[in-house]
Formats: sequence, structure tokens, C-alpha cells
Amino acid sequence: MIEDATPAAHGLEIVDAGDGRMIVSMGPQHPSTHGVLQVVTELDGEIVTKADPEIGYLHTGIEKSAENLFWTQASTVIERMDYLSPLSNACCYIMGVEKLLGIDGDVPMRAQHARVLLCELHRIASHCVWLGTGGIDLGAISGFFYAFDLRERILDLTELSGGARMHPNYLRIGGLRDDLPTGFLEKVDELIAMYYPRMRELRGLLQKNPILQDRMIDVGILEADDALAWGVTGPALRATGVPYDIRRAFPYSGYEQYEFDVVTRTEGDAYARFMVRLDEMDQSMRIVEQARKKLETPGPVMIADTKFAPPPKETIALSMEALIHHFKIVSESFRVPPGDVYQAIEGPRGELGYYIVSNGDNRPWRVRTRPPSMYNLQVLKKIAVGEYIADMVVMIGSLDPVFGEVDR
Amino acid sequence: MPSSQTPPAGATALDPTALRPDIADARILRVTPAEVRATLEGLKADGFALLADVGGADYPGREPRFDVVYHLVKLSAAARTLEAVGLPERVRVLCGVSEADPVVPTVSDLWPAADWAEREVFDLFGVRFAGHPDLRRIQLPADWEGYPLRKDYPLRGPARERTPRPSFALKSNVAAGTPASGRTAAALQRQIAAARGQTPKDGAE
Repeated sequence: MIEDATPAAHGLEIVDAGDGRMIVSMGPQHPSTHGVLQVVTELDGEIVTKADPEIGYLHTGIEKSAENLFWTQASTVIERMDYLSPLSNACCYIMGVEKLLGIDGDVPMRAQHARVLLCELHRIASHCVWLGTGGIDLGAISGFFYAFDLRERILDLTELSGGARMHPNYLRIGGLRDDLPTGFLEKVDELIAMYYPRMRELRGLLQKNPILQDRMIDVGILEADDALAWGVTGPALRATGVPYDIRRAFPYSGYEQYEFDVVTRTEGDAYARFMVRLDEMDQSMRIVEQARKKLETPGPVMIADTKFAPPPKETIALSMEALIHHFKIVSESFRVPPGDVYQAIEGPRGELGYYIVSNGDNRPWRVRTRPPSMYNLQVLKKIAVGEYIADMVVMIGSLDPVFGEVDR
Repeated sequence: MPSSQTPPAGATALDPTALRPDIADARILRVTPAEVRATLEGLKADGFALLADVGGADYPGREPRFDVVYHLVKLSAAARTLEAVGLPERVRVLCGVSEADPVVPTVSDLWPAADWAEREVFDLFGVRFAGHPDLRRIQLPADWEGYPLRKDYPLRGPARERTPRPSFALKSNVAAGTPASGRTAAALQRQIAAARGQTPKDGAE
């Protein structure tokens, strides 16, 4: 029984902004903010007149940590930024370091195809989280279980290749830690076989659901020029019609050899972003199928230069030189020539970039992340104005921020 | 190869960006804070509609000490096909900022994207952006002291932020095979209380 239902009786404060507008804080403990986000909103009735997202609740100083680790160790903390697609982060950082070292042309193709395969799988896994939790935001609970089951199969593959579900640190400067294990490609085949029927189920549950369409169509409309001015990239930009995809604009890791379409829509609303991500998952699966074929031919997965490649494990027990060599790489890493480089890849959320500076030491001098989530989230200030407060959840979900990356 | 983990003096570069190897990742422009605004306005008029990032870097001992780094992509909002996007050009603008007067004009009116990015550079490096509409800390609490990404800021933060930690019992003090029992836990609680200068609670033995 509620005796006093006024907010003040519950320790809440409602601030009057004058002329009847009201300031309401959403979060940081709101279940649908996908992490810890606070949005201070100014309301005129139910209409948002101003939205100010407050970030930083998950700030862990990963960039500072990375500067104090060896080149080889930094990728472990960097993987933890965007924890929904850890391999994209590691891949981008490692390619940047390879460019600084001047060995980016020597990385074996097999390692690059494996990187492409794993990154695309992680894109699908990341979109599965967005699809599942985004559906929950709108009240569609069942989709969550179907999407997370699919994601779990992908994490099984990550575990099979790297030994851990989420942060395997499997990609190394110069290639991969080990070759893909026996039976990995057969597991990929199983995933491909279950993927398309599962996506049909998910599309049936979510895509044509009239309630979801009503909630998303014409909500949070973003125009192409605004999107570029606000630094929005990835699916949110492609939903406005600009086919800017780093995999095509600045090809890396042999993406020139893969056939896939850059999915665009022109509406720019939450539903367009939803559809771009769904269609993008199918394109990612196309790339996975092609990469899987390329991986049938065996070959080296680590650069031949022993300055960067640790000796094979079996030689360490037999050869003193191999033991010393292994010890040196593990205990003091290697030096990287002085210089700076900017490396970008197409992460699941957009242009994921690393600005890496080396001063010639065995640790990075500066590792600056270009976090796509942060720029995508910032545009909430623009698109939320004039919308209903109830649609705020839809808009945050459609921008797909991950706060490990926004706050770092 | 030296055997020590610390490099010998003179082995590291004071200004690494001046020594960079030949990497074709972007066209690089170096400007002063007085020129940066005109340079970026010119680039925007030239079709660089996407300001990908604004970041910072600290080079103690160099004059100017800080770099504010702008990454731009030549991209048009009217591009609707892959051919129209093509292989866009990247430009990196390095703006040296001195420690004595760490002020750069804002570009958040040209690209709203710069709003949070400039706040973050201010928050973590202490470089101020003149004309920014809302220049306050973004990642750290508003009452934080110091700028953590400066190289003279300690990795684990200033001493006032350190929490007391118990020193764990040596292995030799614990009989082999003894599990972490209530006794061990009580000993740890006593150590924590002593470190905090409190008397242990009743029942904590």
C-alpha cells in the first residue's frame, strides 16, 4: 500500500527547469542503457527538449595501462575495451604495430584469413548481443534467447581457437599464437549450417513484428550530413545512405579478395539501423564462408622473422638458444622504431581506429583509441530532441553503444 | 640487444612523430594553435566532412610539450555508391601545444563530433579548448585533480587514492594443505583494520 506517492517521499527530486519543463535523470542504473549511461533529459510533457548523456562511469584507464605494458602485452587490455567483439580491437592494434615495425607485408596470408574469419564471427556475435538486448528493450524477450544461443556457438569457436571465450589474446604481432586447431573448420561448417535457419527464426520473430516496427520506424531520424558532422560511422552511418565501410574504403587483411555487399538504407531511423545490422550479419557470414575455403590450404601462421616470433614450444625444452630467445621475447618484448601511425578497421560499431606512437622503446608511448561507440552515442544529443521520452530506450539501443569502449 | 628492461639513455626519441618511418597512412600537417583553426576550416571546405577523432599525446621535454591530433577523412554526405566513396584521403593534423599556455581554439562548432573528444583531451591532458561551449571533465569525476594521461601522472594514481591493502601471509606461515579457513580470514580482517587504524569488530576474533 502506497501512502505517499509523491517523488519527494521516495527521496527523488524533480527539478523544474522553468516554464513547466522538467529535468529527469535516466540512469546510470537503468536496465536498458546497456551498461552504465546516464542521460539527463529535459522534458516538455512527454517530449524530450534536451538530452545530455553523461559517460565515464566505466572509465578504467585502459589507454594509460597500455602505455605501461610491453608491445606484446598491451593487446590483452586493449581486447577488453569493446568486450563484445574483443578480436576486432586486438586486430586493429596489432595491425598498427605491424605497420610501425614495417612487417605488415610479411604477415602470412593464412594468419590474415584467420583474422578476417574471427573478426567477422565476432561482428556477428556482437550484433547478436545488440539484437537480443535491443529486442528486450522493446519488450520482445524470446529473440534474446535465440540470439544469445547463436552468440554462444561463436564464443565456442573462439574458445576452440584461442582457449578463452571472450578475451583469448589469440592474435599476435606478426600473425597468430598457434595454428587453428584440428576440427576447427568442421565446427565453422556446423555454425554456417545452423546460422541461416536461426536467422530466419530471428527475422520472423523481430523483423516483421508489427510492435517492433511501430516502435522503431521514424524514431530517431538521422540525416547523412548530420551523421558525418557528428562523427557517426558504421551501421548507423550506412543507415543514412552513405556506404562508408573501412573494409572497402581502406582495405586491410586482404579484404579486397572477399565478395560482399556494403548494406545501406536511406531512411536513417532506428528501423533502418536495425535492418542494416541484420543484413550485415548475413554479409559477414558470406565472408566467413569464403575465409573458411581459403583456410583449407595449410601454411605458416606466424611471421618468419624470429625477432618477433617466439620459438616453437617443443624446441624450448631441447635448445638453450630457443629458451633464451623465448625468455627475451616474454620478459622484455621487442623495440619498435620511433614513429606514429593511425590504423582503422571496420569494427561492429563503425570506424575503430588506433593512433599508436612509439618512441623506440619496448612499450607503446601512446595508444589512443578512436572509439566508434563514443561518437555514435554522442549523436543522441541531436536525435533525441523532439522525440518521446519512451523512445529514448529505442534510440540508445539502435546506436548500439558498448561502454567498455565509450569510457575505456 | 640490451639485456636490461630499461632502455639506455638516448635510445628513445623525444619527438617520435618527427622520425616516423615511411608509412602511407595519412597526409600529415603540423600547425601551431594560432593556425589550427584556419587549417581545419580550409580542410572542411575542401570536403573533409568527417572528423574521425581528436586525441592527445604528451612528450615531456619537447617544446611544445603536447600534441592535439586531428584525424580527418575526405568523405561527402552526398556519396551514395561505393564508387562515390572510393578510396578516401586521410589527413592528420598535429597541433603542438605548449605546457605554459595549453590552449587551442575549439572546432566543435565546425564538427559537433569534436565536442566530447575535446572534453576528453581536456580531461586527460589538461589542454583547454577556447570557445568550447561545455568544457568540463567527461571521463573522470568533476572534482578530480590532475590529468592522468600526462606522463608525469603516476600509473596507480596519486597516493591519496591508494586503498590500504593487507599483506598476505607468507606461505611458510600456513601449513601445507591448510585451506583458507575462518582463522585466515579473521587474520586478514585484523590486518585490514590495523591498516585503516580501526579496532577490529567483535566476533572477528
